Amino acid sequence: MDDLLADFVAETREMLEAIEGELVAWESDPSDRARLDSIFRFVHTVKGNCGFFDFPQLEKLSHAAESTLAEVRAGRRAADSKLVTAILAIIDRITQLSNAIEAGDALNDDGDEFLIAALDADSDDEIAEAAINAREMSSEPSEKPAESPAASPRSIRLPVELLDRVMSGVSDMVLARNDLARRLRDAGNEPTLDGPFERLSGILTDVREAITRMRMQRIESLYNALPRLVRDLSNELGKQVMVDFEGGNVELDREMIEMIRDPITHLIRNAVDHGIEKPADRLAKGKREIGLLSIASRQSGNTITMVITDDGNGLDEEKIGAKAVQSGIVTQSELDAMPSTAVLDLIFEPGLSTADTVSAVSGRGVGMDVVRANIEKVGGTISVASSPGEGTQFFLNLPLTLSIISALTVSINDQFFAIPHSYVEEIAHGKAASVEFSAVGDSDLVTFRGNRIPCLTLNTVLGVDARRAGSDQRLVLLRMGGGKLFALAVDRIHDQEDLVIKPLSPAIMATRTYAGTTLLDDGRPVLMLDIPAIAERYGLVSDIRGRTRQVAPVEELVSDKASRALMTFTDLDGRKRAINLDLVARIDQVPVEAFDIEGSRANVVIDGSIFDCIGKLDYPLPAGQVKILRLSDSENELAYPVAELGQSEDYAGELTPVDGDPEVEGLALIAGEPVPVLGGFYLFAGKHPVHNSATAPLCRLPENDPWTERMLAPLIEAAGYAIAKDDAESADITIALAGETRTSPETGDVPIITLYNDPAAVAGQSGAIYRYDRSAIMEALHNAKRRKAS
Amino acid sequence: MNDLLVILDIGGRSAAIAAVDVQSVIELEDIYPVPMAPDFVVGLAAMRSQSLTVIDARKAIGLPDAGAAGERAVVVEVGGHQYALLVDAVHDVTEAQSDIKPVPGGFGAAWECVA
Repeated sequence: MDDLLADFVAETREMLEAIEGELVAWESDPSDRARLDSIFRFVHTVKGNCGFFDFPQLEKLSHAAESTLAEVRAGRRAADSKLVTAILAIIDRITQLSNAIEAGDALNDDGDEFLIAALDADSDDEIAEAAINAREMSSEPSEKPAESPAASPRSIRLPVELLDRVMSGVSDMVLARNDLARRLRDAGNEPTLDGPFERLSGILTDVREAITRMRMQRIESLYNALPRLVRDLSNELGKQVMVDFEGGNVELDREMIEMIRDPITHLIRNAVDHGIEKPADRLAKGKREIGLLSIASRQSGNTITMVITDDGNGLDEEKIGAKAVQSGIVTQSELDAMPSTAVLDLIFEPGLSTADTVSAVSGRGVGMDVVRANIEKVGGTISVASSPGEGTQFFLNLPLTLSIISALTVSINDQFFAIPHSYVEEIAHGKAASVEFSAVGDSDLVTFRGNRIPCLTLNTVLGVDARRAGSDQRLVLLRMGGGKLFALAVDRIHDQEDLVIKPLSPAIMATRTYAGTTLLDDGRPVLMLDIPAIAERYGLVSDIRGRTRQVAPVEELVSDKASRALMTFTDLDGRKRAINLDLVARIDQVPVEAFDIEGSRANVVIDGSIFDCIGKLDYPLPAGQVKILRLSDSENELAYPVAELGQSEDYAGELTPVDGDPEVEGLALIAGEPVPVLGGFYLFAGKHPVHNSATAPLCRLPENDPWTERMLAPLIEAAGYAIAKDDAESADITIALAGETRTSPETGDVPIITLYNDPAAVAGQSGAIYRYDRSAIMEALHNAKRRKAS
Repeated sequence: MNDLLVILDIGGRSAAIAAVDVQSVIELEDIYPVPMAPDFVVGLAAMRSQSLTVIDARKAIGLPDAGAAGERAVVVEVGGHQYALLVDAVHDVTEAQSDIKPVPGGFGAAWECVA
């Protein structure tokens, strides 16, 4: 019998034990709604679990019982004694069947039809009678073999408190051992003691590991069962669904996993059943035929966040509202006063379902209230977000009562701190050649492997001898959700260890700096840093929702409309202007020589590409380095030289329109001054895209030379030149390799650049360039182009 | 039967804590500071593989910092978290002679917020 099946039987039995009392009580008072609900949940859960396994009898029975109870819940049927008897008979039968499953016996379905028929409101007493009798008869043979597995169980269930006590006992033993080890070392070599002590240590390590494993489980064990469930469900419903998992290595309390297994299963069934549309409908809406269901788990601070996202139809707010009013959960006037998030939250109320048809899969509105009850039982929260037509997201926050976290221990000023390993991307020595510190204003940046990333020092974060980052420190590169990196500079990096994280007292949690505490093996307490909170405090924001934001951009769109990000700058004419930040692809700095301005034509060479240049070019460019805004409409790029860069602002107000100047979209009031905002449309209108090959100057290259073809030609083309293909074309510039004797077909005054292999050889010769001197080659090409234009 | 009280000195003043709340009285050796925490939190200390939040009782009730606190600490548990209250001295456990009564005329704002 595999583990899943064992779990199923154990769980069913546990629930049966739990509702035994309820059953008896319900029998005496069938109108008791709370009892009815809990019995209903039981049969619903059994039905749900049957989805994993192939037990048609069980599913049939539980579905029948569920349907009947749903009628009673909806008030369409009274719970008379006959009905109660029939339900009880079915629950007894479920007990028998699960015993038989555990024993590995073949399941007989004798009498099941009678049991189901007995539920029928119109059934006469005879059938009911027969059903009960049939049950009693069939109970005889299967009762006995069920005894034996119960007597020798394969697994036992233990209260978690007991595990906790054992665990803390073992931790104490480890500390005592360390103390003993110190004393033994002090006492000098004692071979008679050292041997046994080593043995004791080894055993203790094993025991500790075993205890730890007892408590923890990877969330993978929860994930593993889901693809099958989704596959079977989607087949049944004629849908195509792809499941995507993330964060399977997040470790959760074993108990926690058990507690969330059912809720998660429910959420996924709902997503497949109600969320994701049929392939044809999806195609009609312009979506991919295959629906995507993704489940991401992440540990952040003291909680595990799980996000279950589907890209289906989303929740229908109006329908939920209407159903809620219809079921008497809220009144119409209450509903009208509700914000839309509150309306969505109504799906967690008991007795609400928006599905029009009741299917075998789900849709009786039992799911969500059970889901919420179970999540809240473990101290978690659940919330829902949805955008019509685009999908639904469920956010689950689960507490981290006790978790083992793999962490990196670091220190500043000899004080230890731990950083969750899940955030650590890389560590680097401040002295390493690949690391370069730079400072902008009061903040430090570090350039690592060509990436410029923000850098915080732990000293500054914690306010302990605040200092700037420097090469005497070590860097921990941390990756936040959404792929953002930042570096944390610390004095030393020590070790990577698995730590048992315990919650901190409220006074310390209030600092929003630490996620928990733990004791190192030598007994010293270590604080675990709350990396997301620190990142947030320093504006390096991102969280788990970053990944899933693509599905639910509704709120953002609204805020985008309300405010726009503007970039202010001082133009060449000395005036302050602003431009939509979205248009600015990047900011560059080029030498003034890179500009080529003539009449109405203006170009600039940036990184070997020629860009059209716009802006107040009638005014002189600043000497030396010129700052350039590279504007992009996602197809073409334009360069806009400016005198000084300003800053980016979120501008919430409306732009004041101006007449007469088509270049200006409107006036924005920034810091009390009217600032003209340049309109992107006008800037790009009528401008040619980069690299207009029809008018590109030609360049003749040495033929049949592999280095030229591989290295030089791409560079020349990137500079906006076309390569001359045969002698008939008249080239504007010729590039030759030193030692080559071929004569150029061009007559007259065509510049020739000769490339040398040896940088020393070019000295003093005009037109001679070392062949890897990229900037000199670019400049020569640039000059040739200017000549052609004149 | 009157309540048992542990008699302490905090900042030169006598104070008492109900003995049932006190788990133990310990001598703290190593205290590891917690940067960013409020100043009455001295730091963390370990006791029997549990970490304790060490509170300077004098600062917590707003008394001026009168030099190094004593090493004696009273371990109490509040809301599932264990705290070590650093006090000047721990005297004795005595039986309360009467029920707890309000002090006529109050006993100072800072004391009242902990009482």
